[in-house]
Amino acid sequence: MATLSWSRAASRSQVWQLLGAARRGSSSGTGDSPGTGVSLPEPEKRPSGLTGAGPQQVPSKNVESFASMLRCSPLVQMGPAKGKIVLGQIFHIVEDDLYIDFGGKFHCVCKRPEVDGEKYQKGSRVRLRLVDLELTSRFLGAKTDTTLLEADAVLLGLLESREIRQKE
Amino acid sequence: MAAARLLQAVVPRFSCLGSLGKAAPSTSQLSSRLYGTLLAPEANQQVEPNVINDRIITEPLRHPDFFNVKELFSLKDLFDARVHLGHKKGCRHRFMEPYIFGCRLDQDIIDLDQTMKHLQLALNFTAHIAYRKGIILFVNRNRQFGHLVEVTARDCGEYAHTRYWQGGLLTNAHVQYGTGIRLPDLLVFISTLNNVFEPHVAVRDAAKMNIPTVGVVDTNCNPSIITYPIPGNDDSPLAVELYCKIFKMTITRAKNKRKQMEVLYGLQNKADSS
Repeated sequence: MATLSWSRAASRSQVWQLLGAARRGSSSGTGDSPGTGVSLPEPEKRPSGLTGAGPQQVPSKNVESFASMLRCSPLVQMGPAKGKIVLGQIFHIVEDDLYIDFGGKFHCVCKRPEVDGEKYQKGSRVRLRLVDLELTSRFLGAKTDTTLLEADAVLLGLLESREIRQKE
Repeated sequence: MAAARLLQAVVPRFSCLGSLGKAAPSTSQLSSRLYGTLLAPEANQQVEPNVINDRIITEPLRHPDFFNVKELFSLKDLFDARVHLGHKKGCRHRFMEPYIFGCRLDQDIIDLDQTMKHLQLALNFTAHIAYRKGIILFVNRNRQFGHLVEVTARDCGEYAHTRYWQGGLLTNAHVQYGTGIRLPDLLVFISTLNNVFEPHVAVRDAAKMNIPTVGVVDTNCNPSIITYPIPGNDDSPLAVELYCKIFKMTITRAKNKRKQMEVLYGLQNKADSS
């Protein structure tokens, strides 16, 4: 029972990095983080976003199949999006609205928080708790769902520099 | 005889939407149909340019991938640009089902193996059109990427239409723009839906006017009347940037190849005749 609660606690504090190196490279990224950023639940409170050589790091002698790339991708490894903690990057700001890209199909829009409001600028890395990857709903009388072209997430705060140093 | 007709097919007759027209002198009697109608050859054409142009036109058709568009993208590039991510299951269009790899936690995943094939076909076709000096029109009504598409079109010397599409732009062109207008030879859709999630009017109009279309179709789009559909994500900025980059590289490459071939065959001809 003790191990069960410990592993649950570990997975709750796990932070998923869905953003590939392409997006992360624009800001001051961590050292040599691989493209996947997959980390299986490990027995530490702050699991690192780095693994060993991810599949993308193998030189393209053996071309990986789409199915295996999909299976190892962080989006699929993450599972259901509800309640998962991810890292995002702000790519657009309209006064109080922050448009944050976290590596999914859509971005999410969050209100600028009162605490440390000025620190949220274009390019800032933030922590989010996902609610839904795409806001869709079927209305009465409609043939297909209506989509808002947006994801839903709760902004938890800026990515602490302590976390970045621990990941390296 | 055949070479002369091919030459007339290549040389644009009418001034098209804003660009300089290379109007040949004997064009005025033509009816107001598309320039693509082949006419009887004229007697005063020289023989040599016909032969060169014949070779220039037919040489790329002998190779399945003359412009080597396969090397412009890889499976990993598509994957990293999130091209495989589709909408939710409820938004799925029935005709997209063959292109969908599966549905994971209600989100459709597009089969990138099929996307690779379709993208290669579409790029090859686009390159051939650009090689033959066809007019390519990029159409996109997604406001998030309107500017990007316009910049892409400008950078490769082609055209873009990312605003409200008036009803008769293609079907009523001769009334709206005057007779003798040259219509685009290819429409490229970065997103085939308009702002109310209905198929863009240009898809249907291009099919009516016999203009081939290339389009990126997401899981909520209808791929039926698009000539070269490319199943893929059309909502993520990374994916759209990738498409724009690839199309720009293809068109530029085709145009450069054309210049190269003209110089090559021109030199050959000079060497032969001298």
